Amino acid sequence: MAAENSKQFWKRSAKLPGSIQPVYGAQHPPLDPRLTKNFIKERSKVNTVPLKNKKASSFHEFARNTSDAWDIGDDEEEDFSSPSFQTLNSKVALATAAQVLENHSKLRVKPERSQSTTSDVPASYKVIKSSSDAQLSRNSNELRKCSWPGVPREVRPVTWRLLSGYLPANTERRKLTLQRKREEYFGFIEQYYDSRNEEHHQDTYRQIHIDIPRTNPLIPLFQQPLVQEIFERILFIWAIRHPASGYVQGINDLVTPFFVVFLSEYVEEDVENFDVTNLSQDMLRSIEADSFWCMSKLLDGIQDNYTFAQPGIQKKVKALEELVSRIDEQVHNHFRRYEVEYLQFAFRWMNNLLMRELPLRCTIRLWDTYQSEPEGFSHFHLYVCAAFLIKWRKEILDEEDFQGLLMLLQNLPTIHWGNEEIGLLLAEAYRLKYMFADAPNHYRR
Amino acid sequence: MGNRAEEDYNFVFKVVLIGESGVGKTNLLSRFTRNEFKQDSRTTIGVEFSTRTVTLGTAAIKAQIWDTAGLERYRAITSAYYRGAVGALLVFDLTKHQTYAVAERWLKELYDHAEATIVVMLVGNKSDLQQAREVPTEEARMFAENNGLLFLETSALDSTNVELAFQMVLKEILTKVSKQRQSSSRTNAITLGGAQAGQEQGPGEKRACCISL
Repeated sequence: MAAENSKQFWKRSAKLPGSIQPVYGAQHPPLDPRLTKNFIKERSKVNTVPLKNKKASSFHEFARNTSDAWDIGDDEEEDFSSPSFQTLNSKVALATAAQVLENHSKLRVKPERSQSTTSDVPASYKVIKSSSDAQLSRNSNELRKCSWPGVPREVRPVTWRLLSGYLPANTERRKLTLQRKREEYFGFIEQYYDSRNEEHHQDTYRQIHIDIPRTNPLIPLFQQPLVQEIFERILFIWAIRHPASGYVQGINDLVTPFFVVFLSEYVEEDVENFDVTNLSQDMLRSIEADSFWCMSKLLDGIQDNYTFAQPGIQKKVKALEELVSRIDEQVHNHFRRYEVEYLQFAFRWMNNLLMRELPLRCTIRLWDTYQSEPEGFSHFHLYVCAAFLIKWRKEILDEEDFQGLLMLLQNLPTIHWGNEEIGLLLAEAYRLKYMFADAPNHYRR
Repeated sequence: MGNRAEEDYNFVFKVVLIGESGVGKTNLLSRFTRNEFKQDSRTTIGVEFSTRTVTLGTAAIKAQIWDTAGLERYRAITSAYYRGAVGALLVFDLTKHQTYAVAERWLKELYDHAEATIVVMLVGNKSDLQQAREVPTEEARMFAENNGLLFLETSALDSTNVELAFQMVLKEILTKVSKQRQSSSRTNAITLGGAQAGQEQGPGEKRACCISL
C-alpha cells in the first residue's frame, strides 16, 4: 500500500525530488523548536555514520527509502533551497537524491534523534508511514474530499486529528507535536485542576460535576468513573481557559464523539460497552489529551454559540427560519399558523449540533463531513439543520396543533438512523448550500 | 385556531418549571406527564416542552408545561418563555441548600418576565432523601408564606406529592380564571394579568396557550 503510494507519487510528480513548494497550511502549529534545533545540530555533526540500507538498487526502492525526506526538506533543507535547485538537470537530481538518501539514512540510524517515543518504532515502519503521509500533506484538500462522504473506522482517529488541524500533516513533526501537546495538556491539569474547589471556580466545577453523569446516560461506557473523571478534567480545563463563555451545557456532549473515536483506536469490539480499565495509563492519557485539543479546535470555530446571550445561536436560528421560509413555504407557514417559533426547537439543534436529535454513531459520521467542509460546524451545519427539518415535512404537516408539533420536533424518530440516512441528509444540505452560495436571492419572493 | 381540532379540553394553561440546574425539574415533569422517572435524564437544553390533560371538577385542562434549563447562561433564552405563563413551579433540591438560597433570585426573574398574578408554588424536591436534607421544611414554608407562594415537598423518584403539586397549581389558576371570567365578560383570552396582558392577547392573535374554547 505504502509502496504503491510512493510509486504513484513518483509517477505523478514531474517535479524533481526535494521540491520546495510550501505544504503546510497556516492552521498547523509552528515547527517545534526542539526538533529544528536537534535536527540541524545532528545533521551538521554526523557525516561519517555508515549507511545500513544502502541498497537503492531499484528506483522504487530508492523512492521508498527517501520519500519522507521531502517533508523535512520542505521546511529546513538548506541544501535544496539554493537557487541552483531551480535548474537541476537529471544528473544533478540523481546526485541530490543520493545525498538525501544519505542524509536520511543518517537520521534513521541516529538514536537520540528519534526521541523516546519513536525509538521503539522500526525504521522501515517510519519510512512507510511517512511516504503515505507525504501524500496526505501535499493533498490535504484531497483528504478533505475523501473524508467528506465518510471516513472508514480504522483511519478515523488519525484523519480526525489531521482534519481538525490538531495533528500536523508533516510526519516528522507528528510524534513530537502529539507528545508536546499531550504534555501541555497535562501541564494544565497539574497547574489548574486543583483550583476546581476554590471559590472562583467552584460553580463551574459543580455544574460540570452534575452534568457528566447526565451526558450519555444510556451508554455504559460513560457510566465508568474513570471516563467521567476524564470528561470532568477536559471540560474544567477548557472552561477556565475560555472565560468568555465558560462551561455551558451542550459543550459536554461535544467531547463525546472525539473520546469515542480516539478510544476506538485501541478497541476492536463494541466501543460503547468497552471497559476502559483494560487500557494502559498511557493510552488513556493520549485519548484524554487528544479529545481535549480536538474539542478545543472545534469550539474555536463556534465560540459565539456559548458566550453571553448566545449570539451565535440566535443568529443561526434566525438564518434557519429565513432559509426554511424560502425552501419550504408550506412548512414555514404551518409553523406560523400554529405559532411555533424556530427557537423553541432549533435552539437545541444549534447548541448541541444535532447531537440530541441523532444517535451517537450518526453524529460521528456527520462530523466526518463537518471536519471536511470549510466552516462545517459553524456554517454548513445550518444547511444540515434545514435539510433535517424538511426531512420531516410530512410528519410536520400532519400535526395540527402547537403541542403536537413541539412534541414531534423535540422527539424526532431517528433512533434507527445510520450512515445511509446521514448520507442523504448531507447530500441535501450540500445541494441547499450551493443553491444559496451561487444565488442568495434565488428563492426570495 | 389550532386547538379547535381537539374538543377534549376547556382550557390550556401554560406552566413553567424553574430553578437551579440538577434539582429535578425534568423528572417532576416526566413523572407528571408520563409517570416516568429516569435516574440520569439528560441535561435540559434551553427549553423543553411537555403536556398533559387533567380534569378538575367539570373542567378539562390541558397543562402545557415548559421545562427550562437551570443553567445561568440559558436565561436570556429561557426567560422569554415565562411570558404568557399562568403558573410556575419554582423547584429546589432540599438536599442542597444552595439551590434554595437562590429562590429569591428566581422569583425576581419570574416576576420580571411574567404577569404579577401568576400562580407560583415553591417545590422542595427529593424528599425521598431525608437523611441528606439540608433545608428544613418549616424554613421553606415560611419563605413561601412570606412571598405569597404555595408550597409542597415532592419526590419525583417515589412520586410523593408530584400529582398533588401540579393539581394544586392548576386548581389555583382555574379559580383565578373563573373569577376573572365572571368579572370580565365574554373575553376569549384567559389572562390573570390586568389590562396590559389583556391587550397583548387580543382576540386576533391568541397564543397557543391560555385559550378557552
